[in-house]
Amino acid sequence: MRLTVNGVEREIASSPLTPLLQVLREELGITSPKAGCQQGGCGSCTVLVGGAPRRACLLPVAALDGADITTLEGLGTPEALSPIQTAFHEHYAAQCGFCTSGMVLAAHAFLENGGGTERESIQEALAGHICRCTGYVKILDAVEAAAGGEVTSNQRWLPQTGEEAPVEVPGAPA
Amino acid sequence: MKAVGARLPRYDGVAHVTGRTQFVDDVRIAGTLWAKALRSPAHHADIKSLDVSKAEAMKGVLAVITWKDVPLLEYGHLSALGIPADEPLLAKDEVRYKGQPIALVAAEDEETAQAAVDAIELEVEEKPALFDVRKAFDSDAPKVHQWGNWYPHFEGEMDRRQIRKGSIDEAFDRADTIIQGVYRPAAIEHVPVETQVCQVVPEADGRLTIYSCTQALYFSMGVVAAHLQVPLNRLKFVGGTVGGGFGGKVDTATETMCSLLTLKSGRPVKWRWTREEEFLCSSTRAPWHMEIADAVTKDGWILGRKMLTLHDSGAYSRFSPYGLTKHSFHHTGAYTIPNLEFDGYVVYTNRVPTTAMRGFGVTSVSFAAETHMSRIAKELGLDPFEIRLKNANRIGDTSPNGVVYTDPSTVPTILAVADELGHELPADYRTMSSERREGEWLPEHLVGQLGNPEDH
Amino acid sequence: MATAVETEADVVLPTSETEAIEAFGDGSSVTVLAGGTIVVPDITYGYTKPRRVLMLAGAGLSGVETEGSRITIGAMTSVADLVDLSAPLGPCAANVADLEIRAQATVGGNICAPPGRDAPRGDLQAALLALDAQVRSAGAGGERTESLEAFLAARDGRLLLDVSYEEPASGAFARLDRPHTHDYSALTVCVARAAGGTIRIAAAGVAGPAVRLPSAEAKADDPEAAGQAADADATFADDALASAWYRERTLPVLVRRALTQLQEAA
Repeated sequence: MRLTVNGVEREIASSPLTPLLQVLREELGITSPKAGCQQGGCGSCTVLVGGAPRRACLLPVAALDGADITTLEGLGTPEALSPIQTAFHEHYAAQCGFCTSGMVLAAHAFLENGGGTERESIQEALAGHICRCTGYVKILDAVEAAAGGEVTSNQRWLPQTGEEAPVEVPGAPA
Repeated sequence: MKAVGARLPRYDGVAHVTGRTQFVDDVRIAGTLWAKALRSPAHHADIKSLDVSKAEAMKGVLAVITWKDVPLLEYGHLSALGIPADEPLLAKDEVRYKGQPIALVAAEDEETAQAAVDAIELEVEEKPALFDVRKAFDSDAPKVHQWGNWYPHFEGEMDRRQIRKGSIDEAFDRADTIIQGVYRPAAIEHVPVETQVCQVVPEADGRLTIYSCTQALYFSMGVVAAHLQVPLNRLKFVGGTVGGGFGGKVDTATETMCSLLTLKSGRPVKWRWTREEEFLCSSTRAPWHMEIADAVTKDGWILGRKMLTLHDSGAYSRFSPYGLTKHSFHHTGAYTIPNLEFDGYVVYTNRVPTTAMRGFGVTSVSFAAETHMSRIAKELGLDPFEIRLKNANRIGDTSPNGVVYTDPSTVPTILAVADELGHELPADYRTMSSERREGEWLPEHLVGQLGNPEDH
Repeated sequence: MATAVETEADVVLPTSETEAIEAFGDGSSVTVLAGGTIVVPDITYGYTKPRRVLMLAGAGLSGVETEGSRITIGAMTSVADLVDLSAPLGPCAANVADLEIRAQATVGGNICAPPGRDAPRGDLQAALLALDAQVRSAGAGGERTESLEAFLAARDGRLLLDVSYEEPASGAFARLDRPHTHDYSALTVCVARAAGGTIRIAAAGVAGPAVRLPSAEAKADDPEAAGQAADADATFADDALASAWYRERTLPVLVRRALTQLQEAA
């Protein structure tokens, strides 16, 4: 069985009924999708399958032979964040960070599918994702900002104190 | 200070949005075993027999632990606050809540670990269970706890948290009317998206590295060291990355048992709770039963408050006596009531032991105190803002436990809310401040009751 | 570190309807896996340990076909692909979970879902009962086509192949939900007015599979009266979402709302 994960083709050794979530986390060591409930209820395991958001905990890997999988690591790196990742960071849309992988991928897919700034349609797109920390408002703000083109990619976000450099903390290492 | 008032990036923000944040379950240590627990199927039962031999003999199982493997079985997590130990790490003679851990298995894979748990032979004899705190005081109530049905070890071996101030009898005599209410918030699950999880690694020097999702790293370190009877420097806790806690990850729910499995097997061990375990077996915010009777005047002064609180601690004490204590100090809410008779009990029931959640002990009483204020306003036909402003804490007022307020913010807060909502207030209310009571804001029943902020 | 599903289960992946029917046999030796939203968590949690899994993903059983006024939906059609159909099926499908689950869940899985452990399953059964749907299935004794009602009464040992119905004149849908959009519905009522004018009413979230409400149908012109009559046709159970007591009092309200909607749609 083969999967392409973040652009890299991988041979899969896990047994056919193994959920994709476990294949990613345990066999391939890709730990960004999380095991929040393992019953499809929380959305923290969501990855992109052929660009579409799906619950990795519900997909037996045998049904995915040849599929193209994207996880959060494949969306952007600290050196080159995608717009949606930048938006989440700028808008404090992640607190503990545990739901973030699923949220960002669902939001990314929403934007790629032409999703706009209308709050209700953003909510509908993220309806399957539970966050217990933020109260959702900042997450919706982030997606709205990204949909409105208010962020750019390839930009490491800097603090908005008007300074070029990050804020100086006395005594901290340079 | 450049940082105060500045909009700073979260130091972990970029890691979160790129999937790089390492939670406990993301730690990868070669050779890690899966842990699974045998949990009580009954709410309240005597353990007649426990035989783990079939589990131990199973291929792929490297360790099974029961109460016999725990060097110090009962440890008082808040013994520093005078709360003695009452809870065994693993059940010994009886089980007191459904889901209580009895034994744990560490095996090469999850399926084997579960099969081993299923192979443990457990015989229990059920006994009547108690779920309603109001029935705990009945003479024929099931006996839940070795100390009786409520905690008896407050200072001076009192069996309740008691506050007495002024003269409640006089207040009730002088009142124009008594207004009563009963408030019963239910248990609440924290539901962190990350379930309880722990990874322990045996180091070559004999120490244990413990990857923990605890909210209280040093606290948990002390708990594990105490149960294991080892010095603190034998443990290295790695943590601080918590996938949501909200008070539910202060209980040191996994680290000790996981450590014991590691010590017994010589291998790294991971224990990750399923979502079902998280819902059914993790501690909750406590349910409360609160009865309030206020002595009030017809123009809205609260002369006195009589209050009874029953705090549902579940099967064991954990932090409940501490939570109830905080609750008692705040039982007048943001308001000044000079005559008080408060009695609070930590009651045991056959439920999962309860714990902290966002405002431990105080959230419940704030809810009750505020709802009761609204009730008083409604029954007296008074404006709900005015009645609050009248009784609101001022400089020099004292709290239930005698602390003098030096800088309360109740009045400006309520005025700001009234303003925001466009709620009309008479001129003398609109100009009210937090300054020491005088004139129309110093009623007869508060004369001589004020304290001196300078004395504190 | 190995994971939960080191099961030795056989996985059969038929590539056609014929292969699927053959592999299914009389159903006694296989566990059918359609979308997986029900079966996969059951395996993960150890509630089921299948020996042989019939994975229908590649068997060509999906698709919505329209022939005149007759609509035929393949068993493996995703719930997402039903969302744009007319009421009651369209809105009923749109109300299921969230877009990720809908993309994976299938109409066949929804019809054949065993009772939920803590919450009802099979919302679409109510819509399809209201639409007087016919079910084509295979199993012991060969292939047969029967009413959905008959199929629901004897689902064991049948492999659902497709479901079909006549496009209604109009339809409506009402439900009792919990606040989160992706929760299971506690109670669902669907109504359809056939081209000939007959009104059928069905409810899901009752004890057992969805049922028709003939007592309500008899009074369909008077939504209030129909609502009052509805409880006679259903039994209710307690579960994690709602009590039987609450469902009994809510069903009349949902019936009244759905019929009122239907009147307004006319």
